[in-house]
Amino acid sequence: MSKNILITGVSQGLGLAIARAVLAAGWNVHGVSRRLSAEFAALQRGHAGRAHFHAFDLGRVDAVKAELCEPFLPLALPLHGFVNNAAVAYDDLVANLDAARLRAMYEVNVFTPMLITKHVIRQMLLKQVAGSIVHISSISVHTGYKGLAMYASTKGALEAFSKSTAREWGERGIRSNCVVAGFMDTAMSAGLTAEQREKIHRRTALQRATSPDSVAATVVHLLGDGAASITGQNLFVDSGTI
Amino acid sequence: MHSDLLRLIDEVRANKKQPPASGVTRATRLREELGFASLDLAELTVRIEERFGVDVFADGLVQTVGELDDKITRAGKK
Repeated sequence: MSKNILITGVSQGLGLAIARAVLAAGWNVHGVSRRLSAEFAALQRGHAGRAHFHAFDLGRVDAVKAELCEPFLPLALPLHGFVNNAAVAYDDLVANLDAARLRAMYEVNVFTPMLITKHVIRQMLLKQVAGSIVHISSISVHTGYKGLAMYASTKGALEAFSKSTAREWGERGIRSNCVVAGFMDTAMSAGLTAEQREKIHRRTALQRATSPDSVAATVVHLLGDGAASITGQNLFVDSGTI
Repeated sequence: MHSDLLRLIDEVRANKKQPPASGVTRATRLREELGFASLDLAELTVRIEERFGVDVFADGLVQTVGELDDKITRAGKK
């Protein structure tokens, strides 16, 4: 059966890799990001009628219902999965913490995904869909990294949210899991120096960056019927951080 | 009372493998008499929103069928 999968942050990096993997699984993508990238547009051309796109700035928490959910995800659309991938990273020492930047990061990484989850669950209830919610978390939640305390706290919030979402909606067959991704060579970690990268890689069993395609394949598994008994879990795809 | 409201109540009951509700009045209590638990009320909310365009639980708890009916009526007059 084909599925409709909502994915945020599809313009580049991991979100694009997830969109590609979801399309390869034969399912439809409903992608959201601030702008339509050339890469996602190419996916749309290659999968006629199966890769939908809606431009929305996920920092606009108060506009989620009117400008994202109502126009792009009408209640009549059966939604089988939601991949909460979009995130921003505000990296700094705790001693330099800036409230405005912290708030802006929480809006994108935590508040908007929670509101989208509300809408997604309502759609699943209406259409009686035993759907799957997947949050992309980060290894920084479980292993401390200098400069990532604020960012890691947003992902930790999502892990807690996912756990109770799983408990709350399990009796309706709705599942919620987190994929805990290790450091990937994507735009989000572009600010790291070669030395910093090397140091991070040395902290993993595989001694290398996490592959976005491996993370994407795990997401596809969690979205699929093969994961029907997996919920409330954190799956680590992180090159074996030690 | 809005006749579609009774239909939506029965849809939620059907998903719980329960027969259509009989003798429902404005005074019928959603939890105690219809046996709706919190997740059932969430499902009823979204069915009402799809049909009538109003989120009946957005501004607090609702106890009876009549209270739901009033909220739908008020939303229709806006």
